[in-house]
Amino acid sequence: MLLIQQFVNSIMLGSVYVTVAVAFTLTIGVLNFLNFTIPTLFMLAGMVGWALAHWGLPFGLSGPMTWPLALFFGICVAILASLLVERLTFRYLKTKYGDSTEHAIPLVSSLGFLLVLENLVRIGYGTDAQRFPGPSADLTMNIGGIFVRIPQLVSLGIVVLIVVGLTWLLKRSRIGRGLRAIAENPDAANILGVDTNRVVPVVFMLTGLLCGLAGALFAVNYGEVSPQMGEDIGTKAIAGMVVGGLGSIWGAVLGGLIVGLTEMMTIHFFGADTVQVAVWGLLLLTLLLRPQGLFGHHSIGKGKL
Amino acid sequence: MLLEVSGLDVRYGRTHAVKNATISVGEGEIVTVLGANGAGKTSLLRALQGAVRPASGRIVFDGKDLTGASPSARVRAGMMLVPEGRQIFVSMTVHENLQMGVYLRSDRDAARDIEAIYDRFPNLAERRDMKASVLSGGEQQMLAIGRALVGRPRLMMLDEPSLGLSPLFVSRLFDLIVELNQSGIGILLVEQNTTMALEVAARGYVLELGSIVLEDTAESLARNPTLTEAYLGGHQNSPSHAAGENA
Repeated sequence: MLLIQQFVNSIMLGSVYVTVAVAFTLTIGVLNFLNFTIPTLFMLAGMVGWALAHWGLPFGLSGPMTWPLALFFGICVAILASLLVERLTFRYLKTKYGDSTEHAIPLVSSLGFLLVLENLVRIGYGTDAQRFPGPSADLTMNIGGIFVRIPQLVSLGIVVLIVVGLTWLLKRSRIGRGLRAIAENPDAANILGVDTNRVVPVVFMLTGLLCGLAGALFAVNYGEVSPQMGEDIGTKAIAGMVVGGLGSIWGAVLGGLIVGLTEMMTIHFFGADTVQVAVWGLLLLTLLLRPQGLFGHHSIGKGKL
Repeated sequence: MLLEVSGLDVRYGRTHAVKNATISVGEGEIVTVLGANGAGKTSLLRALQGAVRPASGRIVFDGKDLTGASPSARVRAGMMLVPEGRQIFVSMTVHENLQMGVYLRSDRDAARDIEAIYDRFPNLAERRDMKASVLSGGEQQMLAIGRALVGRPRLMMLDEPSLGLSPLFVSRLFDLIVELNQSGIGILLVEQNTTMALEVAARGYVLELGSIVLEDTAESLARNPTLTEAYLGGHQNSPSHAAGENA
């Protein structure tokens, strides 16, 4: 029974990893770029949400907000921050016909943004973890002895909706075709009238939305936020993405769930100290046995959406 | 004139790829640009489509100055490039490739224009939901032309369209170019297959090391005995030569 309970919990944890892993894989799939600001965007939504729920807007512009409103604004801040990163790092520094060494420029500058934003939040709010005033813990369903918290169930539903929506967007919509065209062949996309400077911000907007949403779900389900909350989630999401296959949305979904499951089962059987070994061991094993990941292709980072 | 290019210079760093080029294409005219490997033909077309910014010169299309315009503005104005090596999206289906051709169109006729491509090329219709990577070289060229055609261009620029095609497909391709031209589309054709290009074109330019060294009617160019020897590397019609143009 306890094992089934752990399985349910792992799906909940995994759904947070899934959302962040999808954000990573989207940027890699379309732009061939590992966006290191993703963990910060995740953290920003949680911390801004907490600050708004705890204090309200700065300079006394408003009193403390209700938690759903606070999280909504937290997600908006994550989206805006992501667009700012696009404008200031990716677009500014992007070299048009870059080789692999030039890809290091947006990568390193996004790492810079990660550190600057995280430390700005630390300066503003301190390094301590804060209790997030989410929905009451009593909202629980008992299904044959297995406890499922209703906020977790709602979160899972939201994650599924977002991933299905994103898949639809990429597969069926005009903007999705434009994104895939740029992912495969930017030159050919350009001569057909796809404007890179209009399409690329869409990727960053979706990244901000996914990370913000994941941060909000994390705050609600685990009741705690901190300036460091993005670090562990970010690295586990990268592991999930690699296991699933770079650039594949459904690979990121499966990989995120596998990492969540591995984590919970390791805790259950071997204790919390072994989690990192198990997750990263899984990653290394994947790289040895199936380097392209479960759903990935051999050509890493090119047109697989 | 549909397209008027004057004094166009294209530079890549220290390389002066196109020097002071002045060319024009009339409404509904077929004009060809000939030249050996590395003569600057592809650079010229890329500058015309806005993929590279010219160092100097003017590009006027349909009376509008498009010298500094974005590629999307040029597509909207009616210029479409069928790039060298076809550049179809192999990770997409045939149908999605054609949809990319109407990327900037929001009118209801776009879907009908795609159906018209299927009527014209039944091979593509049969494979509409397959990945474009399964197409043969000739079919890929049909797809690349179809993709440009659904954008309803007034000027279609083709970069080495016969490259790597079987002789049968080459003659089908040139028939198609004539057919498109008869429907009112101006054609700017860059080719190494001089004989075929001069057969369908009304006028031609010869590029050598980035400069236009000869400009005449296609008839006179075809009769010019020194053309092949002097400017085009002597044996450009042998199939073995028709590989790897890149400049």
